[in-house]
Parts: sequence; C-alpha cells; structure tokens
Amino acid sequence: MKGYIGEFEELVLLTIASLGDEAYGVSVKENIEKRADRGISIGALHSTITRLEEKGFIKSRLGDPTQERGGRAKRFFELTHDGKVALHHMKDLRDELWKISKTTLSLSK
Amino acid sequence: MKKRKSITPPRLAEKFFEWCCSTAAVDDLRGDMEELFYLNLERMSVMQAKFQYWKQVFALVFSYALKKRKQKSSYHTLSSNTFNTSMLKNYFLIASRNLIKHKFFTIINVLGLAVGMSMSLLLIALLSFLWTYDDFHENKNNIYRIISKTDDHVSNREFASAPAILADRLKNEYHGVKEVVRIDKTLNVEAMYDGNQLPLNGYFVDSNFLTVFSFPLLKGNPETVLDKSNSLLITEKAAKKIFGDADPIGKVIMMGEFGEFEISGLLKNHPRNSHMQFEVLTSYQNLEKSSPFQINESTEESWKEFRNSYVYMLLPDRADTKDVEKYLNSIAQEAYKKEENFSASFELQSIKDIAPGRELYNEIGTDWGYAAILIFVVLTLLILLPACFNYSNISISRALKRMKEIGLRKVMGGQRNQILLQFITETVIITFIALGISYYLFTLVRYEFLSVIVGGHDVVSLDTNAQTIFYFILFALIVGVLTGIVPGLYFAKLNPIQALKSKPTGSNAKFNLRKALTVFQFALSLGFIMSVVIVLSQYRQTINYNFGFDQANILDVNLQEVDPQLFRNEFTKLSSVQSMSMSSHVMGAGSSGSTWVMGADQTDSVEVSQMFIDYNYLSNLNLKLLAGKNFVENASANSNRVIVNEEFLKHFKVAQPIDAIDQLFLLEDNQEVVVIGVVKNFHYASLREPIKSFFFRYDASHFSIANIKVASSDMFTSITEMESAWKSMGGEKKFESKFFEDEIADAYSFYFAMVKICGFLGLLAITISCLGLLGMVVFTVENRTKEIGVRKVMGASTSTITMLLSKDFAKLMLIAALIATPITYLFFDGIFLKMQYYKLPIGAFEIIASLLLMLVLGFVTILSQTVKAAKANPVDTLRNE
Repeated sequence: MKGYIGEFEELVLLTIASLGDEAYGVSVKENIEKRADRGISIGALHSTITRLEEKGFIKSRLGDPTQERGGRAKRFFELTHDGKVALHHMKDLRDELWKISKTTLSLSK
Repeated sequence: MKKRKSITPPRLAEKFFEWCCSTAAVDDLRGDMEELFYLNLERMSVMQAKFQYWKQVFALVFSYALKKRKQKSSYHTLSSNTFNTSMLKNYFLIASRNLIKHKFFTIINVLGLAVGMSMSLLLIALLSFLWTYDDFHENKNNIYRIISKTDDHVSNREFASAPAILADRLKNEYHGVKEVVRIDKTLNVEAMYDGNQLPLNGYFVDSNFLTVFSFPLLKGNPETVLDKSNSLLITEKAAKKIFGDADPIGKVIMMGEFGEFEISGLLKNHPRNSHMQFEVLTSYQNLEKSSPFQINESTEESWKEFRNSYVYMLLPDRADTKDVEKYLNSIAQEAYKKEENFSASFELQSIKDIAPGRELYNEIGTDWGYAAILIFVVLTLLILLPACFNYSNISISRALKRMKEIGLRKVMGGQRNQILLQFITETVIITFIALGISYYLFTLVRYEFLSVIVGGHDVVSLDTNAQTIFYFILFALIVGVLTGIVPGLYFAKLNPIQALKSKPTGSNAKFNLRKALTVFQFALSLGFIMSVVIVLSQYRQTINYNFGFDQANILDVNLQEVDPQLFRNEFTKLSSVQSMSMSSHVMGAGSSGSTWVMGADQTDSVEVSQMFIDYNYLSNLNLKLLAGKNFVENASANSNRVIVNEEFLKHFKVAQPIDAIDQLFLLEDNQEVVVIGVVKNFHYASLREPIKSFFFRYDASHFSIANIKVASSDMFTSITEMESAWKSMGGEKKFESKFFEDEIADAYSFYFAMVKICGFLGLLAITISCLGLLGMVVFTVENRTKEIGVRKVMGASTSTITMLLSKDFAKLMLIAALIATPITYLFFDGIFLKMQYYKLPIGAFEIIASLLLMLVLGFVTILSQTVKAAKANPVDTLRNE
C-alpha cells in the first residue's frame, strides 16, 4: 500500500510543495487553513507529517535556531522523489476519472 | 508579535508538555506552538490564546506524531529510559532473593504489616458496604427528606425529623413536588396474637409510601394495600416471628393502644442497606385517630412537634431543591413569628446523603454519622500507620547492609528510578504476602466485629465480593508503594562513592524520629491494654455492686403464658424450691415500665417507674420495708395498693416514710391508688440510670416471670426436676430459666463489647510495637557485635553488656508509660462519668497491672536479643569480621 495517500495527506504534500524552502509546521498549518478554509489541529497535522515521513514521501531537516519563537529551531520539510511520484499517481488517477466521467461535470449550463 | 513579548504561553502547559514528552526531541513542536501562540495573540484575547495553547498541547500529547517520537527516543542507543518487562522481572527476582536471604526481617515485616492491615480491611469492607446504602430505591435520585435546624436560644440542633404539618402545606399549596410522604415512627407496641405478646416496631406512613420507596410487596396490591384503615403491612421476618409458617394475610393482631389491625400485605424483608428499619407499616390515618395525636392538633403546637415525625418527598427529575427550601422557609418564618424563643429552618437532604451522612438528632433508623466513621478511620490509621513506619524504619536502619549493593548498582549505571522501583517492588511483594495473612485475620474477626456494633448483623454485611476484593488488592498496592517510597528514596539518593565505602550518610535526626515513633507506639499499646483492664474491672465491680436486693440463688423462669397460680401450685411442691415470687420484669436489668402519677391535690403528673409483683417478692429478694406493710395474699384486695420507694416520697415532698402510708395518688388512667408501704431505695434499673420515683403494684395478669429461690446445692438435678414439672403445664414450649445473677450480668454485657474492641486493638497495637521494637533491637545488636566482642575481651560481664544494650530501649518504654497513663485515666474517667450514673472508681491496681503487662512484654522483646548478644563468645564475634 505504499503508493496510497489520503486526501489530507495529499493536501499536506501539495502545500509543502507550494511553500518551497519555507515549509515548516506553522506555515503549512496557516496555509492550509487559509486556502482550504478549514481549521486543522496541530496534533493531526504533525501526525500526518510523521506518517508521510515514514512512507518516505517527505524528508525533514532542522533549521538553525533563530531569535524568534524562544530560540527554538524550525523543522523544515521537502518532498522526496517518491513523494512526487505519489502525487503524480494521484493526479493521473484523477484526470482519468474526470475524462471518463459519463455525467457532465462541467458546472456551466 | 514583538510588541507583546511580556505575555508568554501558559507555564503549566509547557511543563506538562515537557513532562509528557520526557526525552523525546520536540523542540520544533514547542517552537511551532509558541509561534502559533503569538500569532493567536494578534487575533484573539490573551485568555483565548492561552486556551488554544492548552488545546494544542493536548492534541499533540495524544497524537501519533508524539507517540512515534517518544518511541524513537526510547530505543535510541544511548537511552536508558526503556521500561520493559524484563527489567520488572529482574526487580521481582532480586526482591525475592533479598526477602529470602533476610528471612527474619521479612517475617517481622510481613507480620507487622498483616496485623496493621487487618483492621484496614475491616474498614474497607465496611465503607464499601456503607456506600451502597439506600441505592436500591428506584427513585433514589429524586427522593429527599426535610431536615430541621432549630434554635431555642439555648442550643442549635439539627434534626432528621420535621413537623408533619409541613407535608400538608407542601401537598396543598406547592406545585413542584410529585409526592409527599409523612412517616411517624411511634408504632412501637407489644403486639398480641394468639395469647403471645411480642414487640413490634414500625411506621405510620402515607399511602404513597410504597410508590415512592422501593420496598417490594410479596402479597397484596401496592396501590390499595394501605388504603383501608387498620390494615397492616408486615415484613416476612416479623411475620415469621408472630405467625410461624402460616399465611399472615387476613390475620388480626392487637397492636397495644392502637387497637386491632388486619394484615393486608406481606413485605419482602428490606435490604440491610436501608436507612429505614421497620417490621410493620400502617396508614397514617390510624395515627391521626389515636388519642395522643389529637391533643397536639392545634397548629401552633404542631409546628413545634419534631419528635418521631419525618417528611420525605419525591421531586420531578432534575428539580431544584432550592425552590422547595425557599418555600418551606417562607412558611416557617410565618409560623414561628409569634414564638419568642423558638425558630426553625428547613433543608432538603437527598436520600443518598442520609447514610452515611451528617450527624442529626432523632435519626429514623440506622445512624451512620460521619463522626462515628471518622473515629473508626482514625483508629484504623492509628494501627496501620505505625506498621508502615515500622517497615520504613527497619528498611532504612538496615541501610548499612545494603549500601554495597546500592553503590555497585549505581556505579554500573543504575538510575535513581530503577533503585526506587527495586525497593517499591520489594515492599509491594511484602504487602501482598501480608494481605493474604491479614485477609485471614479479617475473616476471623469480622463476625465478632459485627456483633459489637449496634444491631450489626441486621444493618451491615461484611461478606466480600469481587468489588471488595478488588479494593483490598488496590489497598495493598497503595500501601506497598507508599511505604516503599520512603526507604526507596533514601537509597536512591545515596552517593555511590560513600555507599561503596559503607559510610552511612548522617542520620541522627532520623533516629530521633524513630525514637519518638517507638514511644508513640508503646503509649498507644499501653492505652489499649489499660482500657481492657479498666473495663473488665468496671464490669466486675458493677455486677458485684450492692443493688439493694439479694440476687444469689434465685432462678428466673419465663412463664410464657402459663397461669401464674397453676405454676405456683406445681412448683412449690418441688423440694428444691425454697420460696417463690412472681414479677413482671427482671429487676436491675434494663428498664421496667412506667406510668404517670399525680398527687391527689396536684395538677402536674410525674413519671414513675413501676413493676408488678406478688406478696412474696419483697421477702424473696430481701427488700427492706421502712414503713407500712407488704401486699396481702388475697390478690383482689391488692388491686389499688402500691408500695413506693424513698425517692417517690422525696418527689412528692413527704418527709417521713410513715407519713406516706394511706396517702392517695392518681394514675394516668384515673385509677386511684393508696400507699401501703415504703421500701428502701434500690437499683430497679441498671446503674447507668439514677434511681427515680418507683412503686410496686400487684396485678397477676402482668406476671411474666417467676423468681424461684433454690435451696438445693445440686443445681443440675433441681433444674431437671423443674423441667419435668414444666412439661405438664407448658406443653410444647421450652422451659426458659436463667439465674438472676446472670441476667444482671447480661445487662452489662456492653462492657464486653468494649473489652472486645479494646482487646483486639490492643493486641494489634502491641504486636506491631513489639515487632517494631524487635527490629530495632536486632539491628542495634547486629551493628554492635564487634563492640560487644571487644568489651568482653576487655573484661565486661554479661550483665553489664545486657544493661548497656537494653538501657536506651527501656528509657523509651518508660517515657511511653508516663505519657499514656494520665491520658488513659482521664479518658476513662470521663467516659464512665457519662456512661454510668453510679460511677465506680478506677483503682491504682488496674493501672499498675496494665503497666506491668506492657513492660514485661517490652522487656522480653528487648532481652531476648540483648542477652543472646551479651552471652556470645567474643572469639566468634570478633572473627566474624
């Protein structure tokens, strides 16, 4: 089941991708909340990140401690090759399903 | 975020998070939370931000992310925080090896704790039963009763009872209650059925009693069973007592002054854990009909009538008791407005809070006040705590022996936690072995224990079930952990270098504490021993007290409905019967009946105790007539004559006994009686009560006891002879006889309850303190083996060495004696003053005897060890090193 990713996991992966070098706990949380307009718990977010890391879709590194946030280091995340492949799989699957859909999915009438 | 730098995330939450994470790397998570906190500060109030922070902490603590990180850190190569079962197994192994190696100390510890815990098991079993009180009522969440607080400017009292008139007002004027039940507990009569007289106790209740409370009916319709007047509900147990195995429904019994009642329903025996205890129930209307009630009919009086009447109510679900209370107090204020010196206020008490509950006057049934429970808890702790202290004491004082082990563990990388756990495991093992023994002790004493508390077997059950066993195990675990922590922490703190050199860290202060503890334990033991001796001697003095009449060689036979005249005819024929008299009660044992008497020219009546006797009674019991004459043999001539005591004269202000003769008095049923004789004061009731006005009357219909003075020296044949004579009259009924002396002794059997309690506690206390002392002595002796050897070599004699070793401990025991003696003396002086009107002195003998007993026990303990040590051959002891 290595290739399988859930909806929230996909959301986190894509957000990490969109943030580039600035992807760490708070920025990911704030971004998802702003874009998807939903509140997410920090516990759930970090649990998902831990799972993604275990599946090998992302890797993390500790940043240098700064004056901000009580001198505590940030943990930055970036996508691995596997992560990118998983996203591609997901996207392909979606595109295909969109293409073969027999109901008209277009919203314009 | 920099403008508000002074506001920081909640400290407690940070600490909590840190504690939860222990060694896991969570710096980034904390950073995230802190950053979010400052972001939140700009969006919301400080309070809300802090609340959010807490929320985040909890979300993370229970999250998968943190679990993983902790797991990772635990299995890190440098980590020693692993807690796995193999280590636990190791603790267990080492602990058992240690316990087996030091068998002597293990046995002392196990015994001490077992004895200490047995009392606690009693307490736990009792409490776990008490907590189930009244929970069998289906409506238990909505049943309340009215309790009253009265103030008559002399004292404030809280009653469990309340004026019955409150119930009428509530029912008629207030709409927030579903049901109101009045209960009156004055239904205490000698019931007559089929010629048998038996006491019955019960309540007058409103007809909705059975719908509010869950007392199931075995026979009868709960809706209508109380509707008819003079119908009576009876419990199975009481029915069996009166009717035997016959079906009670429809039977008619005579209930004393309340008239005849027909049994209309059979109640299942109420469970033991009911705070109401009754044998019969009848409708409240029957009380209203009876005469004494009508006198109090005027409303002003009925507002002040608190005795025996109770008001219970059923409220709707989730009703607010405050509203009802407010209403009650508003009508109360109005009612008591006219009273100058009296006022009362009312409160609602949930049925769940009744037992165990607050101390209230006039409790309806079983009284489980907090105070009584508290005394029991304190006694339990007094026994348990010394046992635990002893354990800690002995463990710490054995430190020297285990220093090397601890030191080595530390050097090899043993952590504080591990050493602490090692000791706790050891203690828990000991407490569990002790639990087994103390459970055995518990099963031995529990029935005894029930018989010493009032009505014990009827209201309490100490049978164990899965739940109590679970509590027992939990209790043993808690005791083990708490007791193990003290020595555990002591050893965990040791400096490994000093420990390996076997140098104890300074513990002088601790030794003083230990001394104080020994003194305390022995003072406690002495107190209990003294109690036993004092109570026993009080008992002995009481039954040998000069009651004012003879009791030797008199056999009391229960007549059980046999005609007194017939009995007299048959029994006077027997050779062993010297003389015989008849009476209604047993004198000097408990209470006799009483009546109200008025002087011929007076208006106030006085309560006078009375007893019915025949013409032989005075001479049979050797009561002295001061003036006048005895009853005559012709029964009918005596019907309006009385013989009074001196106290009676004093009360009616008659100066000389001779003046009282032929004076007339009026009884409560308007019967006129004339005094024909005056007897010297004697103790017609027990010594607990003062002698008050008393008279003898003559009425053969009240005779229930024959007093036979037995002449023969061979009691056994005399009694067999009487039994065969009885068979011709009593038929099926058993011959019931008892010696007068024994009956009087029985009346003071409550002293035995005290002896039992004190004796048991004393036994526990003395065992624990002797074991503790033994541990201390053994330890001291072991540590001074070398010193003793050297002293002997230098020429010290066995006796000087014994003295040297015993001196310190003897001093402690003497101090204990000095503390305990005056306290115990004052305590019992006060107790007996309250318990018995005719107080008997506590002599020096009792005090000296108990002191000697304790000192002997203590010295045997000390000398058993010191003499052995002093006698030891110095060659052996010195080579030992």
